Amino acid sequence: MSAFGAIFSREAGLAWAGGGGPAGPAAFFLGAITLAPLAIGPAADLLVAVGPGIMGFAALLSVLQSADRLFGDDHADGTAELYLLSGLSLPWLVLAKVLGQALATLWPLPVIGLLGAMMYGVPVLPACVGALALLAAIPALSLIAGFAGALAAGVRRSGLLIALIATPMMVPVLIFAAGAGRSALAGDERALANLLLTIAVSLGTTALAPFGIVAALRSRLG
Amino acid sequence: MPTMTAKFPDLPDLQPERLQVSGLSLSRGDITLVRDFSLDLAPGEAVLMSGPNGTGKTTLLRAIAGFVRPDAGRVVFGEGPKADNAAELVAWLGHADGLKPVETPRQSLRFWAKMNDQGRDPILPLMRAMAIESLIDRPASRLSRGQQRRCALVRVALANRPIWLLDEPAGPLDGGGRARLAALVDWHRSRGGSVIAATHQSLDWPGAKRIDLGAHR
Repeated sequence: MSAFGAIFSREAGLAWAGGGGPAGPAAFFLGAITLAPLAIGPAADLLVAVGPGIMGFAALLSVLQSADRLFGDDHADGTAELYLLSGLSLPWLVLAKVLGQALATLWPLPVIGLLGAMMYGVPVLPACVGALALLAAIPALSLIAGFAGALAAGVRRSGLLIALIATPMMVPVLIFAAGAGRSALAGDERALANLLLTIAVSLGTTALAPFGIVAALRSRLG
Repeated sequence: MPTMTAKFPDLPDLQPERLQVSGLSLSRGDITLVRDFSLDLAPGEAVLMSGPNGTGKTTLLRAIAGFVRPDAGRVVFGEGPKADNAAELVAWLGHADGLKPVETPRQSLRFWAKMNDQGRDPILPLMRAMAIESLIDRPASRLSRGQQRRCALVRVALANRPIWLLDEPAGPLDGGGRARLAALVDWHRSRGGSVIAATHQSLDWPGAKRIDLGAHR
């Protein structure tokens, strides 16, 4: 397991050293939730109603923002080939890599989601449920982004391809995560159900996506 | 000429393996690159592949490493029939050196030593053998192409695997670098390892088999 620990900590370190760590996704997220009210209009009740949904939606986009580097860099600098020849279990390897980078770059998302929802006028409890749902969604979002990034590794302007591949796959987790916040706002008992479904999607993605990422990496090297 | 001043570290014993390539055919799109290529590489042997640009040297190395599926033919490591074995036996040096711009050689080589289940003690002696030990804490983005390649060669040696597949190992190296590469390859072969290198340069590796891929089209 020490090799997987090494991958996890190396990815976290590389994300800090080379990519500014959490600054990119956080800045994107903050920018999106700051601009949205300017487009929607200042009606307070309207902003409360859209708050949880905007948080989920903006978090999803900010995860996509750095997806091209996740496997694109490895493909370009020859690391992907070395991974395939490492003799380690490849699904575990890519899981450690994706989660290592997610930990380093995406940890501000629930925090910003919580503060952002309160900024929109959402009461504390629903805002917390929404932030928890974002936290639960991070494994699914980052692994789907990683899968799209692996399929697009080595493609020029891979951002376009990643957006086209990843956005449809992120639909369920977006619906459940944003739904948890909205139901909590409405005082509806479906909030817990939505939160659990978000966790379920994340667990399912964690179990399946690594195999897809490995297959995608192999095909991009062939 | 190799000035054999380099001292190589004591690594755990290699498990020498034979590599057999039989009837390999490779194509890119509808262009046939290699037809019916066979090679038997015994422990301690070295092969230098040459040929004009576009003859498929890189593709052939990638097929042996298992990255590219051949149209026909087999690549067999050791005794068993194998496809995944390459991941245990091959040390790979491709076009890119596998270095991260922000990582120093020390960080990078320690990481790969751990990935390949090797100790970190041989890192410094191997870097000394490639004459880059003074650069151990300099980020890879501030190394020259030749220095990066030397660092990648250290990574190859550090993996302590019997079969080295090297794509243009001497490409960016200067005269001294080529001599040190030759010494490194000599050392590897003396331990029972074997090497296949694709190269445009006339490398002086004593006793190496030479194959002109242009003849296999």
